[in-house]
Amino acid sequence: MGWQEIAALIVVFAPGVAAAVAGLGQRVLGDRGAMAITTGLVLAAAGAAASLFFPLVFGTHAEGAHHETLVLATWIDVGPIVADWAIRMDTLSIVMMFVVTSVSALVHIYSISYMEEDPHRARFFAYLSLFTFAMLMLVTADNFIQLFFGWEGVGLASYLLIGFWYKKPSANSAAIKAFVVNRVGDFGFALGIMALAFMLRAPDQFLNPDGSVGADYLALLGVDKFSSVKFDTLFGAIRADALVQPFGAATAVPIQSVTFEFLGQYVYGLEIVGFLLFIGAMGKSAQFLLHTWLPDAMEGPTPVSALIHAATMVTAGVFLVCRCSPVYEHTVVAADIITVIGAVTCFFAATIGLAQNDIKRVIAYSTCSQLGYMFFAAGLGAYEAAMFHLFTHAFFKALLFLSAGAVIHGLHHEQDMRNMGGLRTKMPITWGMMVIGTLALTGVGLPAVEGLHLGFAGFFSKDAIIETAYASHDTFAPLAFWLSIGAAVLTSFYSWRLILMTFHGRTRADHHTFDHAHDAPVVMLIPLGLLAVGAVFAGGVFYDAFVEHHNEAFWAGSIYRGEDNHVLHERHYVPLWVLLAPAAAWVSGLLAALYFYGLRAGLGARIAASGGPLHSFLSRKWYFDELYNFVFVRGAALLGDLFWKVGDRAVIDGLGPDGLTAAAKAGAGGLSRLHTGYLFHYALVILLSAVAIGAFILFGQGRG
Amino acid sequence: MDLTIGHYVAFSAALFTIGVFGIFVNRKNIIVILMAIELILLSVNINLVAFSVFSGDIAGQVFAMLVLTVAAAEAAVGLAILVVYFRNRGEIAVEGVNVLRG
Amino acid sequence: MTLISDLQIAAPEILLSGFALVALLVGAFAGDGSSRFLRAFSTVVLALASLLAFRQVALPPEAAFGGLYQTSEFTSFAKGVVYAIGAGALFMSGGAVRRDGMERYEFPLLMIFASFGAGVMLSAGDLMSLYMGVECLSLSSYVLAAFLRDDLRSSEAGLKYFVLGALASGLLLYGASLVYGFAGSTRFDQIADAPYSIGLVFGLVLMICGLAFKASAAPFHIWTPDVYEGGPSPVVAFFATAPKIAAVVVFANVLFSAFGVMEDQWALIVAVLAAASMLIGAFGALNQNNIKRLLAYSSIGNVGFALIGVAAGETFGTSSILVYMTIYVVATLGLFGGVLAMRRDGKNVELISDLNGLSRMKPALAIALTALVFSVAGIPPLAGFFGKLMVFRAGLQADLLWLVIVGVISSVVSLGYYLRIIWAIWGKEPAAALDPVDFGVGVTVVASTVITFPVLVIWIGGLINATSFAAAG
Repeated sequence: MGWQEIAALIVVFAPGVAAAVAGLGQRVLGDRGAMAITTGLVLAAAGAAASLFFPLVFGTHAEGAHHETLVLATWIDVGPIVADWAIRMDTLSIVMMFVVTSVSALVHIYSISYMEEDPHRARFFAYLSLFTFAMLMLVTADNFIQLFFGWEGVGLASYLLIGFWYKKPSANSAAIKAFVVNRVGDFGFALGIMALAFMLRAPDQFLNPDGSVGADYLALLGVDKFSSVKFDTLFGAIRADALVQPFGAATAVPIQSVTFEFLGQYVYGLEIVGFLLFIGAMGKSAQFLLHTWLPDAMEGPTPVSALIHAATMVTAGVFLVCRCSPVYEHTVVAADIITVIGAVTCFFAATIGLAQNDIKRVIAYSTCSQLGYMFFAAGLGAYEAAMFHLFTHAFFKALLFLSAGAVIHGLHHEQDMRNMGGLRTKMPITWGMMVIGTLALTGVGLPAVEGLHLGFAGFFSKDAIIETAYASHDTFAPLAFWLSIGAAVLTSFYSWRLILMTFHGRTRADHHTFDHAHDAPVVMLIPLGLLAVGAVFAGGVFYDAFVEHHNEAFWAGSIYRGEDNHVLHERHYVPLWVLLAPAAAWVSGLLAALYFYGLRAGLGARIAASGGPLHSFLSRKWYFDELYNFVFVRGAALLGDLFWKVGDRAVIDGLGPDGLTAAAKAGAGGLSRLHTGYLFHYALVILLSAVAIGAFILFGQGRG
Repeated sequence: MDLTIGHYVAFSAALFTIGVFGIFVNRKNIIVILMAIELILLSVNINLVAFSVFSGDIAGQVFAMLVLTVAAAEAAVGLAILVVYFRNRGEIAVEGVNVLRG
Repeated sequence: MTLISDLQIAAPEILLSGFALVALLVGAFAGDGSSRFLRAFSTVVLALASLLAFRQVALPPEAAFGGLYQTSEFTSFAKGVVYAIGAGALFMSGGAVRRDGMERYEFPLLMIFASFGAGVMLSAGDLMSLYMGVECLSLSSYVLAAFLRDDLRSSEAGLKYFVLGALASGLLLYGASLVYGFAGSTRFDQIADAPYSIGLVFGLVLMICGLAFKASAAPFHIWTPDVYEGGPSPVVAFFATAPKIAAVVVFANVLFSAFGVMEDQWALIVAVLAAASMLIGAFGALNQNNIKRLLAYSSIGNVGFALIGVAAGETFGTSSILVYMTIYVVATLGLFGGVLAMRRDGKNVELISDLNGLSRMKPALAIALTALVFSVAGIPPLAGFFGKLMVFRAGLQADLLWLVIVGVISSVVSLGYYLRIIWAIWGKEPAAALDPVDFGVGVTVVASTVITFPVLVIWIGGLINATSFAAAG
């Protein structure tokens, strides 16, 4: 076991140990002990993850990319379904490990101060570490089952953290909403895994007599052991286009050509798997249609929003799509669905962001929107660009959230931007951080200058995605391109709107609050500073490795691209105006925001007050909650009522339990009445029975 | 007219039927039920002896002796229980025997 | 065949009858003062007889007394269980016998005679010995049912049992006489060789009716609820266990060994009896509030399940009958131990509502009764589940799917009243406290619970192996 393996073990298990110790021993340790242990261990994990990540980027790691899987234990071993507890150490996993642990460590530090007055701090830190552990299990999985374990683990931790202030009804309902909406996605994910296990089966001719898979087939796949839920088996099969014989199928078919009949249509098996897995990704990453939980999740403490709902958990969907790049490279429809959903989300969420007043909700919709960028990039085949944006976004979005947290903290839990303003003088450092985060988010940088990497983090990653959208030949690429440009304008507008409303102009906060407003304490500012460094430099420094010259060496096969997928390269040949378009977008967004909220201060508020249809449409989030409430909640209630009152009570209960019970009772009553207690009746019963049996025999004789 | 086995079996069946009817047609006196039981056992004995004679197998007659013995024991036990019952209930009407029911 | 070897072969019954006759003399001279001593001694002797009977299982089948007495592994195993359970029932009867004024020396001796009768009818190789066994068991049982001489309900139970039992004996006997007439012999093995005739079938039908009555299979169960409700609890505990398994096994043994070739004729009848028993057992108990009456219906239903094994025939059913009945009677003995424990202010109480809140008053007893009830209901992982599994499997092997379906439905329905007991024990507010539990009852309940779970669960394979005889009967 080399140092990499030891580092990986530390990365994954330090947070797990922290969660267990702090969670179970919080009475013994006390708040301070629990905080110290969790923060210390997660910091150690972050250090270990950094030691894995940086050599990879800067190439000091002599062997090149480290591409092995550390198997800890076998979990499930049932025929073709074999799942191990494993730590997969390829570039994709290591990038995620670094993002997760570093953001988590900073959030831990930040929370020490932010949660200072909370009586349940130990529990909070235990949840944070638990979340980190689950997320690491997710990203280091080498099979879908462990991935699903982590997937559900982060779902659980997210539920616990959103509902952390369990005395607040809104927090509880938000937690439930997040959980339920995620279940919808998880259901798709689980079905996807099942479809995969169903489809991926070694053909009969490759099976040994004892039912195990033959060596030549394993060699074809390039794996040691066949397992239909393991990434290597699946990806090996897809790469080699190996023959598979789905359960119940008579003949073996190459995996890329497997079809299933569904509603009379023949659908490619990979399309089904890809689509179902993406349903899971949609839920976890709050994509269009399943996005409604994310804004509500802002009910949780702000560090949670930063950790879970900006930097890590919501990116799990993007990670999943990138992890399954071999699948999506060989699907058309599923990849197009990803592109369209991603593009629509990035624009749609940005429009809602325009009209929100809760400072955290603005950032939440921004997150939603940015995830849309990542998804359509992945859908178009630029997985590296998606991962790059994921990487940079983690820093600046966490920065924005934590800065917002600092504002909220400084204003004693005031979140409504209408009650802010003019805070720049009161909290200059926070202002600076927020501006850096906004510059990174809106993608400020110097475009169209070869070789000179000058710009904030978002500039590199977002522009790479926008260029990709233009360069791609996909049917839906133009849609994605124009929507993403539009979203960039809106992003810039709502981000500056946030800054202007919060920090500039005359204050709308009451005197007392305003007078006591102050910058956050140092413990909170340190993470902000570190994240700001990331938000400034993460783009330029890692640009080469993630999406430019060194990207193939960097990813080292952990992301798969089809032979005719050169989109990452082709983006270099886009016209100049495409390079300038994002810059124009952010400039115009900034100018518009300045006009509405700077020069003509109060215009925005007046528009909002006038209650025009467009504004209410946006501020009510396209009426999605209302629509879902009407269609699903009320519809389900109606349907449930129907099933309950008519189906269950009248029909099933009536004929079933209740009816049967009544019949049984009646029967029992009849039996009781038969028991008159009179001897002669008893004797008669006995005799009649004897006669009946005799007659029965005679009758049987006659027939026989 | 020669007596065949059929006559005996028919006679025994008639006795048996009377005995059985005696149990559930009679609603007055439990003593009558005891007598009806004796009738049933008698019908069995006739059957056994007749079969024994006609088949030349002695076992049937041995069986009949056993049945007679058991019948005596049964009558004794029956009467004893009846006496106990009478002491508790004060009557032996068949229709009165229905404390336990349902 | 010397007398000595005959006596050796029939050792368990010889021991019992010899002891009973001597004890009768002792009792007659020493009076009721010897009752306690005789009860203890009788328990030991029954246990000894049980050992002797189990020893017979390992020995090759033998005939004695000119074929009147016939041992086989199937019946010897049942006999062993009968005697052991009889010993258990006698062992736990002590306190109740003392308090309810049944402390007379006849009590243990009647139990011995009843067990002896059960043993004789199990070992019968001939209609005559079968009848003698049945009558010995029945006559003792009539007296036992009426043993509370000053109690109207007990004497009425005895009277009813007697009249109906006599009628059933009459049916059995009349059937036996017809079988004798048409087969030309009273020996089972010769009856088995007799040519088919309609008279033989009639004899068979009447004998089935008589035996079904003894086993309280529906629709010949009609006496059971009344007798169980009225009879003294220690006696009913005995009725529901030892003679029950004996009757079912005799039922099977007679059909298998004397009428094996006529299986086509009786299999369907037995299946119908089984179905009727299960359904009546399930539905009849739903309305009952008296726990003894409820257990009577439960025993009717359980006989029905065992009869699935009989209906499945000798090839498939033999083992399942023994497994099922053994597990059932062990659990039932414990349940009746619970009934014996139900005393309040020195009086017996027997309503389900009297169990209310038992879990808080007597947690150990509550847990034991819960396990036993669940076992009788056939809930995994308790032993009763495996018993049901065995008979259902036998039924399926014999292509009696409809019967198995009826069995499953009845199981579900009967859960209704089993759960009522559980609900009363765990869910209801406590009623007034129950009196302390007798030592004997406590020991028996614990033993039967431990045997039900986990002993018979762990060694269920052993039980199945021990009862799976090559070509039984």
